[in-house]
Amino acid sequence: MVDFIKRDKDDIYAKPILGFLFKNQKFIMTLKIVVAFIFFYAIYFGFTHQGKDNTFTWAVFWGIFWSLFMVVTLPTLGRVFCGICPHGFLGKYITKFGLKKKMPKWMQNQYIGVFILVIGWWGIYYMFPGIYRTPFGTAMMFLVMTILAFIIYFIYRDMSYCKYICPIGTLTRAYAKLSFTWLGSYKSACNECKTFECATACQHNLKPFTFDGRNSMTDCTLCMDCSAACEAISFKVKKPSFSLFSKFQILKAEVWTFILILAAIPISMAFHHGLGRSKVASDMIWAKTAEYFKGFIDFGSVDAVGLFAFLYAMLFTIIAATLGMYIASKILQKDYKKTFYDLGYSYAPLFILGSIAHSLESFFTRGYDRIIEGFAFGFGFGKVDIASLASRGDKWLAVFGILKWIAIIWALIILYKRMKLIDSTKLRKTLAFPFAALLVIFFLGVNSYRSYILDTYGRASRGTHGSHSSHAMKSTDSNHSKNINILSKSTKPLDTVYFSDKKPTPVSRMGHSGAHMMGTRDRSKVPSKKVWLVTDPLDDTKCVHNTIGKFFATDIDNNLVEVKLNQKSCTSISFKMPKSGYYKVYYLLETPHSINVAKYEYKRFDHSAEAIYEKEKMSAKTIQEIPFDILQLRAEDETFYSRPHSGDVLKFKVIKNGVAQSGVNISLTTQFGWQKNLKTDANGIAKIQLIQDYLPKWNKFNKRFKENFLVVATYTEDSKKYKASFSGIFTPPREAYSSYSYGFVITLIIIILLSGAIYLYRYRLQKPFKEVHFDD
Amino acid sequence: MIKKIKHFINYADLRKFRFWLQLFFFVFFIYGGYLAIDLGREIPVFSCGYNHETAGTCYFMPLQHQLARPWETLFSAASIGVLTSFLVFLLWFIVFNKAWCGYACPMGTLQDWITSFRKFLGIPYSTYNDTQYKSLKKIKYIFLIIVIIFPLLIGLGLLDGEWRGAFCDMCPARVITPMFVGDFSQWSIDFSTKTAIFLSSFGLIFTALFFVGSFIKKRFFCFFCPMSAMHYIFSDTALLKLKKDGDKCTKCGDCYNVCDMQIKDIADDVQSTNILRDDCILCLKCVAACPEDDALHVDLVNYPIFKSTKGGFAKRMEMDTWEKKNDS
Repeated sequence: MVDFIKRDKDDIYAKPILGFLFKNQKFIMTLKIVVAFIFFYAIYFGFTHQGKDNTFTWAVFWGIFWSLFMVVTLPTLGRVFCGICPHGFLGKYITKFGLKKKMPKWMQNQYIGVFILVIGWWGIYYMFPGIYRTPFGTAMMFLVMTILAFIIYFIYRDMSYCKYICPIGTLTRAYAKLSFTWLGSYKSACNECKTFECATACQHNLKPFTFDGRNSMTDCTLCMDCSAACEAISFKVKKPSFSLFSKFQILKAEVWTFILILAAIPISMAFHHGLGRSKVASDMIWAKTAEYFKGFIDFGSVDAVGLFAFLYAMLFTIIAATLGMYIASKILQKDYKKTFYDLGYSYAPLFILGSIAHSLESFFTRGYDRIIEGFAFGFGFGKVDIASLASRGDKWLAVFGILKWIAIIWALIILYKRMKLIDSTKLRKTLAFPFAALLVIFFLGVNSYRSYILDTYGRASRGTHGSHSSHAMKSTDSNHSKNINILSKSTKPLDTVYFSDKKPTPVSRMGHSGAHMMGTRDRSKVPSKKVWLVTDPLDDTKCVHNTIGKFFATDIDNNLVEVKLNQKSCTSISFKMPKSGYYKVYYLLETPHSINVAKYEYKRFDHSAEAIYEKEKMSAKTIQEIPFDILQLRAEDETFYSRPHSGDVLKFKVIKNGVAQSGVNISLTTQFGWQKNLKTDANGIAKIQLIQDYLPKWNKFNKRFKENFLVVATYTEDSKKYKASFSGIFTPPREAYSSYSYGFVITLIIIILLSGAIYLYRYRLQKPFKEVHFDD
Repeated sequence: MIKKIKHFINYADLRKFRFWLQLFFFVFFIYGGYLAIDLGREIPVFSCGYNHETAGTCYFMPLQHQLARPWETLFSAASIGVLTSFLVFLLWFIVFNKAWCGYACPMGTLQDWITSFRKFLGIPYSTYNDTQYKSLKKIKYIFLIIVIIFPLLIGLGLLDGEWRGAFCDMCPARVITPMFVGDFSQWSIDFSTKTAIFLSSFGLIFTALFFVGSFIKKRFFCFFCPMSAMHYIFSDTALLKLKKDGDKCTKCGDCYNVCDMQIKDIADDVQSTNILRDDCILCLKCVAACPEDDALHVDLVNYPIFKSTKGGFAKRMEMDTWEKKNDS
């Protein structure tokens, strides 16, 4: 035993505040007493207030202890949860006065605790959802566990309850391996030690001075009794999960804890709560199995779907783990069991980090307020109403999503490091790696599949959240229809009508002009576009309703496709754009004396490899259904990326009944009112150079501003009037906002300045030769 | 036979080999588009996508765009694409390790040519002193943070979308590489927004720095290159490795003297076997300059493919001609 030791820099005991928190025995004692008091008070409270108004019991057990405090501290600080656990705290005193019997061999089995947790708690949880949710159920369970714990403490020695029976004992022991803290000792002092105070002080009968050498803290619960007994005990900050990077005595139950907990919590949850809440929940295998068995067995109040989701999760997870490891062991030419348990430690981060994400998210969305409210209620402050820190769907909560990825990467790193410890060739190790990582891949796959299903098929609407949003939708809908009634009007056969991709909406009402209808952003769906048939000038568009004309739409191969026509009060048409290319929409109103056509063309492309701009395929084409058509001819260097700018020359070709028509009146009007009129030439082509009339103040300038233009072609032949419209957009040219001269000048100035500075610097370094005279 | 090949490689004139290989890769990456070569968007060198004829785009460009997705999308299944392009990047990288910098990077090659030009003019080059070296080498990690964190902040909604390609806007490769296919459009300042002005002028300032810096300092920009930092993070996984046998090293300092990146460890460190440092561009000049048998060697999956040899050193230094001169 030593009274003083010079502590290393990374020793937490040497740190100003942390050192106090972890080392000061009076503080630790006070903390343990407070925690024990809250624990028993919460149990008592659960029995006296069995109604729903008892938020206190929930707050203590399900708000703080499990899972928030435990999962947050386990992979960071380590088993500090055990350090302040009321069972262990009181158990120490009970053991002292107890019978001190040796625990029988069959009970010295870590699997007991693991199975109580996985089957007794999670299995029951999925079978009877809600059983532990009542304050009474919670209090009863914890009371039973407490009595059981105290009896075992009383009979057996060495805190055997913590080691073998406690449902979370093995779990904490296993996951604490990820933490960055380490209880060890200073070798310099321990080498000369003959008294072993640390070991005698330990109620768990452990030998802290051997922890460093064994590279394992075994069953240490960080109760800090040893650090009070001897100064040579250190509590250091290390690299997270560093002990997993080198060899130590493996404990099979730990590996099985990782696998079973992963199956019981994240995988089962993804099955039952994630996929189970999608619109295709009934197609999932567990739902079908449950349905099948319901024909034979009466499940009563058991949630059969939950039970089978749990069982399937177990099955799949265990298969993924064992099969992967089996193949890996064959590749490595090693004993299967040894490989399995050696590499199995790499599964550690998967559950715990994902769980942190979940716990923190629920803490911010509903845990925080319920904990405060619960404590206020429990300690007689009455009912208070606290706002939660965040609401569901807040964008920043996605931050926690990163933890899942960290978990996967971390697991792969541990696997890599543990793979290094195995004695085999590099090639075999490389080949075995993906198989050993099968469970990690499975975990990734389940998560991806879950988000894929939820993105593709959506959540089944139920609960308060869904109804709320649908309500919101309704109110905006009614807003829209109001606006539309004011804006829409019916047209005469020869009024100019054209398509717009913006819904005509007055600025004053909606705050900003037009909803963004750039096609849907959802990546899982086929992009679609919606256009409205409108009339009147470009800066004051009005919807058209009661149209009697026909609508046509074509796909990229110029084939007619069916489209969704919406004729309510504002005529709109939406079409799907599955591939990259040009899509066209036509409106045709034919009377004996007139033909009126509106045309819209949209170039859709994605960045995929299939998007190839073939000139022939992409050229402007008409369709035979349209007797009078305007084609916008492609520019020479047209690609998917090109877009007309001010200053570009646009070429339009007018086709009447399939033949190019000369002498057609063409007028192009821009959004700001500039207009150009001319006639088509002998080839039926009219060339118009776009001017730049978007000239806002500099601070309002938007280089992606889309200015609309409208081309109208009119022609009269044998007293039959032809009219066609074509709408499009153009943007400011590069020259409007970028300056070469400034760029060149700045670069040149800097080059000259730098060169000058370097020249001067070097010039000064050169010291001219100088004769030095020494006076004698 | 194998012995002959080994002898040939170990006695090769690395400078010539490197010159031609660099020239090849320069032409390949800058003009590859004319031959319709497209290696994708995950190339681990500054073969900039702003050059429309590039044979493969620098990985940072798609990376920044991918990371700038809204976080709900980024942390969902949709991001498998991010993962796959990262894996493709890693696959490219793993084979050649940092030799990408020393042999394939067009910007690195350009700097080497500027250095030769300076040599031709007879102007001496500069070096950093120890303190400058230590503080300046951190800059590349700051750039790497810009590459990775800025898009994430955009996805979170904390930063305007204008910052999406913040590093690309500041990168001299954006300005310089398109020049070689006659596109000078990047030599301009974008006045459309304040952010755009800021970023585009930074790009030009760095371009000016690039030219002046690489003129007086060998491989000036590589010192600040975030791709180099990115490489270093994954260099342990690479197949090609630069190894040193400390017992055979005499600390003569030849390797340090030829090192463009001023890496002291190459001469000083006799402990580590893996001698690749974050600044290293794996140009292998050190191996060619090493006069000791086997002290430095390049391994491909633990098989040495290029070793330092006494004979090779003597041949490269043209010792025989010197000796003849001394004799006469």
